[in-house]
Amino acid sequence: MATKLSYTLGALVGCTLASGALANGDVIKQTQNSSQWAMQAGNMQNQRYSSLKQITKDNVKDLRVAWTFSTGVLRGHEGGPLVIGEMLYIHSPFPNKVFAIGLADQEIKWKYEPKQDPTVIPVMCCDTVNRGLAYAEGKIFLQQADTTLVALDAKSGKELWKVKNGDPKKGETNTNAPHIFKDKVITGISGGEFGVRGFVAAYDINTGKQVWKAYSTGPDNEMLMDPDKTMTWTDGKMAPVGKDSSIKTWQGDQWKIGGGTTWGWYSYDPKLNLMYYGSGNPSTWNPVQRPGDNKWSMTIWARDVDTGQTKWVYQMTPHDEWDFDGVNEMILADGVNVKGKPRNVLVHFDRNGFAYTMDRATGELLVAQKYDPKVNWATGVDMKSGRPQVVKQFSTQAQGADVNTKGICPAALGTKDQQPAAFNPANKLFYVPTNHVCMDYEPFKVEYTAGQPYVGATLSMYPAPGSHGGMGNFIVWDAGAGKIVQSKSEKFSVWSGALVTAGGVACYGTLEGYVKCVDANDINKELYKFKTPSGIIGNLNTWQYKGKQYIGVLSGIGGWAGIGMAAGLEKDTDGLGAVGGYKELNKYTQLGGVLTVFSLP
Amino acid sequence: MKISRWIAGVAIALAGLEAGQAADDKPYQVADGNKVDKATLEGWRTWRALACERCHGPKQEGLVGPSLLESLRRLSKQEFKETLMKGRPEKGMPNFDGSKMVTENLDGLYAYLKGRSDGAIQPGRLEELK
Repeated sequence: MATKLSYTLGALVGCTLASGALANGDVIKQTQNSSQWAMQAGNMQNQRYSSLKQITKDNVKDLRVAWTFSTGVLRGHEGGPLVIGEMLYIHSPFPNKVFAIGLADQEIKWKYEPKQDPTVIPVMCCDTVNRGLAYAEGKIFLQQADTTLVALDAKSGKELWKVKNGDPKKGETNTNAPHIFKDKVITGISGGEFGVRGFVAAYDINTGKQVWKAYSTGPDNEMLMDPDKTMTWTDGKMAPVGKDSSIKTWQGDQWKIGGGTTWGWYSYDPKLNLMYYGSGNPSTWNPVQRPGDNKWSMTIWARDVDTGQTKWVYQMTPHDEWDFDGVNEMILADGVNVKGKPRNVLVHFDRNGFAYTMDRATGELLVAQKYDPKVNWATGVDMKSGRPQVVKQFSTQAQGADVNTKGICPAALGTKDQQPAAFNPANKLFYVPTNHVCMDYEPFKVEYTAGQPYVGATLSMYPAPGSHGGMGNFIVWDAGAGKIVQSKSEKFSVWSGALVTAGGVACYGTLEGYVKCVDANDINKELYKFKTPSGIIGNLNTWQYKGKQYIGVLSGIGGWAGIGMAAGLEKDTDGLGAVGGYKELNKYTQLGGVLTVFSLP
Repeated sequence: MKISRWIAGVAIALAGLEAGQAADDKPYQVADGNKVDKATLEGWRTWRALACERCHGPKQEGLVGPSLLESLRRLSKQEFKETLMKGRPEKGMPNFDGSKMVTENLDGLYAYLKGRSDGAIQPGRLEELK
């Protein structure tokens, strides 16, 4: 049975290969089969939605563990499993192992473990996460920490090709999942804390040959930006960006070490042939040291997948002073009601605490509102200029270097970090895992040395004061109105990717290690809860096999939430800081690396 | 250029030694827990600039990396320097021999961390001892 099916799949792949034009269809077709989970986000639109409805709000209470699998690695486990045909594919943090597991018997069909220079680990300081694999046309794609991009035969695990995407000696590493759009595998780069110059690159899925590469900063031609045709929101309308739009917003050649890295979740609109992603913080974290708007860090990008040319850009946080990376997922949704009109939009929950709704074809700014009422660094976004209205008291630039600016909300890890939200087409609402954390931020001068940390700020983080005392919320968001519909408080940041299904449930994981499923129409109704072996920073995915719906998630505390965040567990300035929020994680969880799969009995 | 850096290094080392002898073999001078000699102050600035707290914690109590409050009780100054220069890449500790700031302030960094380990220097911001 298994052999027969994979033969058929093989034949299909053969056909697709023969005519390149069909290449685009493969992944989309795989994602349209709801029995599978063929992309990290479930589909090209980054929706993390499944039309499966065996598990419902009435029976979800009966969920039980069907099987588990240990990756053998004790580090932060982000991302989630892919399911294609008879096989489940799962990855681990560094050393980035890949396992192909047969769904029928949970046997390891093949295993791949790349050889990587361990010197890459310190450059990833402090956690060696990986956000998962990609699939297309009988191939599995792995983006290794050391920046090597590998294509493996999905049936055998045999290496088909590999290519070097960056240089760890300069602080360039990778944590992002590769994304397959059309016949290209698109990847980014990490290292915003090492003065890396961010970029995205497209490689041919069949050969690994680089097709295009586009930087976040620098000369127009290196960003694949056309001064006359690339548009941006200007004085209440779209206008061309003009010549040298990046370079003139930096002092000297700081753009060469200017950050704008690209380690988030990208999406793709096949009709527009545009891909969307965000760029991260400008380097260093000391704003005083890098005058200017620092374009195009902190930016939403729309690029033509074939050429890489930039269709439009929108910078959310000009001249960042708080490390509000713009890398979070770009979710594409159709028919969202904005001021009485159905619009095809891009929705982005930024680290800076604002949720942006954009017309994804044109790049027009439609809505920009706080998705946590505690956000205080800006009063709002001026809808004409598109710029945040910064509050001086919380401006680390205005307060200056060697001054500890206190009480900024959100903290550097944002009202949300990379943990991706889900979109429910049934009610056109978004299910968003969030952080509820504030910070003190003291910038100081740093010198750049290639391959050495280039941070330049000391931070202290703590639960949002004057609130419920917890460090997270799971919220429902109306992206047309720019309003929180419902909010469910959590003790710790919700650092797990959400899932919403046609069965009317929304599920997410917590840092203590719980998988929780709630009523999608009333998220305060917690319908199911199970404690997995370690804290969850992975994403929940779902599939169906032999008539049964499964939900799978990786446990394994780590990442910034589990490790870097612990840095904020007490306020140094308080002496005996009693805040201790994250410190309490020790009471609930230890390191781990386990995939837990659930189903109904 | 290189030579002068080396000389500067030696000078700091000597200064450290003298200060150490003056204060019961301690490599740092401290008052009120947060006022320290110039070399130790530069050591703290180096700690901060190289973002050591990301692994070792803001109070050196250990996170993904080990507690330096503990390590500095065990490591000789020579072992400390070797760890900084060569790193322990398999454990995630970078080699800092490529960092000018570290190579120039190795003694001050040792003094700072020793002072933290001894409990003589407070966590957080420091000032120069006048």
